[in-house]
Amino acid sequence: MSAVIQILVLGLALGGVYALMGSGLSLIFGVMRIVNLAHPSLIMGGAYVAYWAFRLGGADPLLILPFAMVILAATGGLLYRLVFEREARSAKYSEMTVLLTFALAMVVEGLLGAAFTNTQRITSPEYATDAFFIGDVFIPKGQLYAGAVSLLIISALALFLKHSRFGNAIRATTQNREAAELLGVNVNFVGLVSFAIGVGLAGAAGALVSFVFSFFPSKHWEWIVILMSLVVLGGMGSVLGTVLAAFILSTVAAFVGFYFGATWSTLTFFVALFVVLLVRPQGLFGEKPELA
Amino acid sequence: MARLDTREILEAREAYNAGLIRAADRNRSTWFPFAVLAVLLALPALQFSGNHNYLLHLTLYTACYVTMASGWNILGGFTGYISLGHNVFFAIGGYFAGMFFARYGISTIILAPLAGLVAAAVGYLTGLITLRVRGPSFIISSLALVMICRILFENWEFVGGAAGVALPSNDLPVEWAKLPYYFAFVIMAAFSVWAAYRIKHSKFGLGLRAISKDEVKAESAGINTRFHKVMAFALSAFFVGMAGAVWGEYLTYIRPNIYLVILVSVNMVLMCILGGKGTIAGPVIGAILIVAFNEFFVATLGASEINILATGLIMMLSLMFFPLGIVGTLARHRKLPRILNWD
Repeated sequence: MSAVIQILVLGLALGGVYALMGSGLSLIFGVMRIVNLAHPSLIMGGAYVAYWAFRLGGADPLLILPFAMVILAATGGLLYRLVFEREARSAKYSEMTVLLTFALAMVVEGLLGAAFTNTQRITSPEYATDAFFIGDVFIPKGQLYAGAVSLLIISALALFLKHSRFGNAIRATTQNREAAELLGVNVNFVGLVSFAIGVGLAGAAGALVSFVFSFFPSKHWEWIVILMSLVVLGGMGSVLGTVLAAFILSTVAAFVGFYFGATWSTLTFFVALFVVLLVRPQGLFGEKPELA
Repeated sequence: MARLDTREILEAREAYNAGLIRAADRNRSTWFPFAVLAVLLALPALQFSGNHNYLLHLTLYTACYVTMASGWNILGGFTGYISLGHNVFFAIGGYFAGMFFARYGISTIILAPLAGLVAAAVGYLTGLITLRVRGPSFIISSLALVMICRILFENWEFVGGAAGVALPSNDLPVEWAKLPYYFAFVIMAAFSVWAAYRIKHSKFGLGLRAISKDEVKAESAGINTRFHKVMAFALSAFFVGMAGAVWGEYLTYIRPNIYLVILVSVNMVLMCILGGKGTIAGPVIGAILIVAFNEFFVATLGASEINILATGLIMMLSLMFFPLGIVGTLARHRKLPRILNWD
């Protein structure tokens, strides 16, 4: 029994991190209809910001997190202006942007590889290797902090989307772009800001990931499919769905890993993606089956 | 009521089609692809004057990618379903033929068509599943396919897991050792280009192109879209699998990180996009350019990271500024040279 609780705890703590990794992706898809395959590589960028600060000044990744967020958000805004804004009128927009973000992922991977080499890295603040004990259930501090911080950020995002004027504009654009534009929402600016926020969230997730997983530039290919499985299961564009899917899948993966071996735990996400696409392409909370 | 005489209608249609072909022939030099093939087949004669193995290797490598990109083009170009996971079929062809070669010593060159059929069968089954979704979802599912296959192959002890299987190399003298593979790849490339042409201009190919324009309208016009899509998937897997079969023996290795790396499938996609998706000459031109680029970057800068960066940049730029590719853009401006008009 305690083994089951143990796995549940570990799965849920990781689920928090996955939730933050996926939420930016979901936001960008919701507003822009861009399946941002470059998102994991940008998370990797955030992780390297944290790694760099840690190596140079011994800075705590949790303190670096806001900086990583700002740096990545600026990168996101720039990318939007340079690349995605001009694609808005392309005929095969969604397909085009998938290929573009795929190419972008390679560019980011190449840049990171050239700057930091392809060695495995991890930041190691003290709490990363420490743990709490409740009875015989142990909770690694690193994963717990990371999960807690990402839930905090996601709550802040949810409050922003729900209660601020601009958040309402973002949600309106997600629901119906044309109608929002008719009502006076500057959809292009909304696109720019939500793209920047989404990529900023990738930066934040990267800072957290930097002490939870070891990473190297080409690892983002694996993350792409993991994050896609979350976003697809949650229903593309629904941030809440993504968060829920993150907890579900990471718990299932933890159980699979425990009973069948660690290799197969990643397979959970891949197979889940496949099954969801086939059985319920709109996911748990999606409403747009025609995009599937 | 008199029975409708269909023979006259058919004859009239045939005459009309022949007229179309004659009109198209006025805009192209049909001799050019054949001349290229003849030169390529004669190229190994250079070996009598010294060791030109590097040149042969580059040509062979390009021909391998021409085969794969032309195959990919059937699904990605004609039908409009972008697959980022076609290296799965490269792997299946490679592993199938490679294992037979390792166990029973049957040359993969003989096994290549069979390996292609195996890849096509797997493609047919995957197509039945993944072609139920379209657009971005299909692209994502194709990526998932690569990841699943990678985990499966890396943990499958029978095929050597992550370490793979070493294959015996042939015992020809060094200047002739590449020749069997060279001819195999050049012939496969020529066959795939010819087959792509025949498919594009068949009734089946017309159906595929209708699907890429508007699938719903194609369906309501009476095209069995499901059958067309799945067959296109199987056909494209056939060529990729065939290339994979011989590639293993040429490298004397079958290993997941030769076949199941993302760069292989990206190259296929990029060659078609750069050369011109849905055209016949596009994948050929794309393959020549990308192989040249890769070779240049690795030779001058020596780092695979730079190669990935450059590949990504080329892909972004060509998507943003030449979404129709070289052949497509030239054809749109009516500036396509006669020798490149293979459609």
